[in-house]
This record gives sequence, C-alpha cells and structure tokens, in this order.
Amino acid sequence: MDSAFSQLCVLGSSLVLIFGLILLWRRGVTAYINAFMWQSIVLAAVTVIVARFGNVAELYWVAVCLLLLKGLVIPRLLRRMERRFSAERELEPYVNTATSMVVAGLLVLFGYAVTRPLVALSHLPTRVGVPLAMGLVLVSLFVVISRKKALTQVVGFLMLENGLALLAVLGTYGIPLIVELGVFLDALMGFLVMQIFVYQIHETFESIDVEQLNQLRH
Amino acid sequence: MRTFALLLGPSLLSALLATVVQPYQRIVGGVNAVLSLISLGAGLALWGELLAGRVVTSGPGEFLRADALSTLLAVCVSVVGALAAWLGPGLSRDDDYDGVQVRRFRIFVNLFTFTMLFAVTSNNVGFMWIAIEATTITSALLIPLHVTKASVEASWKYILIGSIGIALAFGGTVLGYFDFVNMAGRHEAALNWTVLVASAPHLHPQVIQLAFVFILVGYGTKAGLAPMHTWLPDAHAEAPAPLSAMMSGVLLAVALYAVVRWQAVVNAAVGRGFTDSLYIALGVLSILIASFSLVIQRNYKRMLAYSSIEHTGLICVGLALGPLGTFAAMLHLLNHTLAKSTMFFLAGRILHRYGTAEIGRVSGLLRAMPWTGGLFATGLLAVIGLPPFGLFLSEFALVRAGFAAGRPWLMGLVLVLMTLAFVSMIGHLNRMLYGAPTAGVPVGEGSHWSLIPLAACIAALLVLGVALPTPLATLLRQIVEIVGS
Repeated sequence: MDSAFSQLCVLGSSLVLIFGLILLWRRGVTAYINAFMWQSIVLAAVTVIVARFGNVAELYWVAVCLLLLKGLVIPRLLRRMERRFSAERELEPYVNTATSMVVAGLLVLFGYAVTRPLVALSHLPTRVGVPLAMGLVLVSLFVVISRKKALTQVVGFLMLENGLALLAVLGTYGIPLIVELGVFLDALMGFLVMQIFVYQIHETFESIDVEQLNQLRH
Repeated sequence: MRTFALLLGPSLLSALLATVVQPYQRIVGGVNAVLSLISLGAGLALWGELLAGRVVTSGPGEFLRADALSTLLAVCVSVVGALAAWLGPGLSRDDDYDGVQVRRFRIFVNLFTFTMLFAVTSNNVGFMWIAIEATTITSALLIPLHVTKASVEASWKYILIGSIGIALAFGGTVLGYFDFVNMAGRHEAALNWTVLVASAPHLHPQVIQLAFVFILVGYGTKAGLAPMHTWLPDAHAEAPAPLSAMMSGVLLAVALYAVVRWQAVVNAAVGRGFTDSLYIALGVLSILIASFSLVIQRNYKRMLAYSSIEHTGLICVGLALGPLGTFAAMLHLLNHTLAKSTMFFLAGRILHRYGTAEIGRVSGLLRAMPWTGGLFATGLLAVIGLPPFGLFLSEFALVRAGFAAGRPWLMGLVLVLMTLAFVSMIGHLNRMLYGAPTAGVPVGEGSHWSLIPLAACIAALLVLGVALPTPLATLLRQIVEIVGS
C-alpha cells in the first residue's frame, strides 16, 4: 500500500517538474500557459492522492483551491494577457536552450543534494518526491532570471509557487489549512498586481520585453 | 484584546474610510491622521505593559502576542505610519497629486501599515509570512503613483524580486514546519513561534539550518541585504516620499524582525555559531556594496536608499556579535527608523521644490529652503553616525561589542567602509547645501507646520545620542533575552 503511494507521489512530482522544464525548451507564451495549467492540475491530483492515502481531510480543500485558482482562474487571466500581447514571442533568452537544459539538470541534482537530510529524516512515504519539488523551485528561479519577457517571468514565478506547494504537501502533508488559505489569497492578490504591472509596462514601454527596463542604474 | 484592536484597527478603518468615502478628501485625511495617533498610543501602551512585566496576548492559542521584540517594531511602524498620515499627500495644500492619486495613496498606505503591524504582532510564523507578502503587494501598487518609465521599472523589479524572495522565505517556513512535524507530528499550533521556540532543542539541526538559509535569503531580500538588494535603490528612489520613508524606515526593519524571530528558534536548536557566520557574510557584503555605491551616487534619494542598505548590513553584523551586539543592533534599528524616515520626508520636500533628484542640479539649499536644508543637513550628519546623535551611540556600542566578541579584523573592515560612506555622503551634502539656489527655484519655505514632526524626530535622535532612557534599555534587554544565546 505504502509503496504504491510512494510511487504515485514520485510519478506525480516528476510530471510537475517536467511541466516546469517546458518553459526552458518551448518558445511562445501559449505553451507556457498550458504547461502551467497542466502542472497545477497534476499538483492538485498529487494533493488528492496524499489526502486519500495519508488520511488528511484538509488537503481535499487545498486541492479544490489549487484547481480553481491555478488550474482555472489564473490560466484564464494569463490567456487574456497573452491575446493582448500575441505579437510578442519569447525570442532569444539570455541563456540558450541547450545550456538551459544542462543547467536545469544540474539544478535538479542540486535539489537532491540539498534535501538529503530531509529525506533521511522523514518517515512519510511521500518523502521520495521532496527532491523533485526542490528541483522545481530551483529551475523556476532560473527561468525567472534567464527570460526576457515579463509574462514569462510571471509564469516562472507561478511555477516557483507550485514547487513550494508541492514541497509542503509531500514534506509535511500540508501546512495548517487556515495558513494555507491565507497563502492562496496572497498568491491571487500578488498575481493580480503583477498583471496590472505587465499592462503598465506594455503601456509605457510599448512592449513587455524587460530588457528595456534599464533606465535605473547604480 | 482591546490594545490590539486599538493598534491594528485604526489603519484598517482608515483604509476602509478612504475606500468608501470619495468626496471630502481633506476630512478623510484629517480623520486618518487622528486615527494614526491612536495606533501609536496603543503601541506605547504595549510597551508600558512590558515594563510592568506583562506580555500582552490575545485570541485562541495566543494568536496575537506582543513581547519586547514585537513591541519595539510596533512602535516604530506606528510612528512612521503617523508621520505618513500627517505629512502624506492630501493634507497640505501644495502637493502634486490629484484626488484619485490621493485616495489611492490613502487606501494602500493604510493597508501597508496594517500588514506591517499584523506581521510584527502575529505569533504564528505562517501568518507573519502572509502579512509580509501582503506588504509587498500593498506597497508595490503605490510606487507608480506617478506613472513614468522609471517608476514602472522600479515597481516591476520590486514586485518580482520581492515576491521571489518572499516565496523562498515560505520555503524556509515549510522546512521549519517539516522539522517540527517529524518530531511531534502534525499539529495546528506548530507554526506558533512560542511553540517552535519551546520545542527547538529537539529539532533536527541540519533541517532547521537549511530552513534558516531559506529564511535569511528570503526575508533578507525584503530587508535589502546584498546581493538581493538590487530592487531597493530603484523602489526607494521612485516611490512617493511618504512611501519611501515607510519602506526604508520600517519595512526593512519588519523583514529583519522576521529573520530575528527565526534566529531565536535556530539559536535554541543549534547554538549561535551558525547564524553568526551567515549574518556576517551578508552584512559585510551589504556594507561593502552600499559604501562603494555611495561614492558614485548622483541622486540624493538613491543615496539615502544605499545608506539604508549600509545600515541594514550593520544591524545584521550586530546580530552576529553576541548579546551586546544584539542590544546595539536593536537600538540601531530604532535610530535608523527615526533618522531615515525623517530624511526621506525632507528629500520629498526638496524634490518638490527643485523638481529633480540629481545632486548636481540642487544647489543653495540652505538659502532656498533654510529650515528644510538645515534639518536635512542635521539629519544627514545623524545618519552617517556623528555624535551627538543616536546612531553614533548605537554604532559605537556595536563596534565595542565586536571587539568584545573577539572580532577586531571584522570591526576594522566595517569601520573603514563606514568612513568611506561618511566621506562620500558629506561630499554630496556640501554640493547641495551651499552656493546660489538653482535658477528658477523659488526662495523661502513652504508650509512650516509640517516641519515640526520632522524636527521632533531629529530632537528624539539627539536625546537618544546623549542618554539611553531606562524604559528603552529595559525593552532592549528583554529583546536580547528573547533572541537567546
């Protein structure tokens, strides 16, 4: 029973990580938004699995919130933004695709190294997925740093949040529900403000290429 | 319960009032200003309770809790919040904001104050995280109050870097919770700071250390520690003056507060050595980058912002220097709050008059605005740590703690860098103060009354530079106990 549970967790977290990697080798925001949507849906599924096998009823609520907010509302808002800026594609990022993939591989390995004490310490059958969650956190961080379009950076940030949510679910069976709800509220508000700013960047600079944001130096 | 309601309620009420009531902006502003004083009074009342030996708590499972560390921060936040309410846009006649901007400012600045006050009084580190994340959201919306290329760029950098930093701090919080869950199982109260500290000796050292790295990098981003400081000079320079004052004066302090809360847990779990070395690394790097950036600075608001990075670095170094250093660091935090918020308000007056933040295009400040110029000069002397101001005393105590802790080389380096910052800021100040006023700039002070609260802050710094009042000393000693050895 436990081993099936572990394997489902590893499968789920691997999928979540792979959707994160799509940001590195696809061009075009549509692919990113789809990747984010599917990643969130798989994340919700992992949450349901942990809720079912770990007997944590609260996590069902978390899964519902995840599905509604990150599987439905945010992708929809992202698509609306994307239609507005449809002419703009992620062109040449600061780091090319091949190098990006190598860096991502190294970051996932680093994730394994960093989480070694956690995996060694934990008794939970879900612990095997923890390094993958940490890997996603690091890879998303790299995406935000190395991409030029404001919209891509937003998707990278959202995936970073997904990585942390996965870490919380696998490592601890979820933080207390009331705190989790606050975190969701913050995530939504933060996203809405970022959205306002992307529109503002588009209006003032007539592009969402953050390379143009270079007025302020020293 | 009542004290907390009086502390947190006014800012929430003001925000609500500004949202609901659209006309009569001046009256709304007046009500807001009076309410901000109630909040300040409640902060002082908490302090009074502590002096009587009582830690005020409220709600189920001590949801809100005001020990000495919380109270110091609550007082700092409410002081600067009150300054922003009295001196912010909308009350004085000559400012350059229209009705819509004034209303937006009032809504979000009050929410900003509320989130900071909630962050420092929440006993639950999860809610503390939520509140600090919310500070980013509420303050970011106010940076582009005037939409320009520079302000849009600054706000984007701020929200992106700030949110990522805060997300990492969430990772740290989860790791801390992970450690607790492994030891004692899932528990609703596990994120309560009091519970965490009490159970800290049983936590697994490696995991809690990893958690602290995330916490320090995460909240350190918001505190403006190098190398995650890149958003700070932009945001502080482009934000409207009252917001700059709040961000520089207290937001950095609130972020450091969050780090210190976790430091107390880590210290109880693994002893001091681990946090010390991290603090010193980031602190010294911050001071280093800030002082060299000060040399080449051409913009006086950015100069003040880099000086904030320098002082945050100093506080960090202080936190690594044992109980004496913690005492000095907390005193320095209070001094910096008073000095830097005053300076940003004055910088706002200068910017309003000269229409430029370039140091090279401001001259004859003492003749154009004798009082503002005089206070600006005095304040800057206080910021760079000259006697007889409070910052001199706290820096002196900090350096002495360093020597007492057996780190003469570190202190030597810090002193050299501080001297560099000192010399370059004096140079910039000289360029602004003297000579004939820039052509086309009207001569004479604007509204005098708004200088009174700022002069009062400088006077408070003067008092803190001469003596350490007993209530404050008691409060600081209690903080040292909380942080632990």
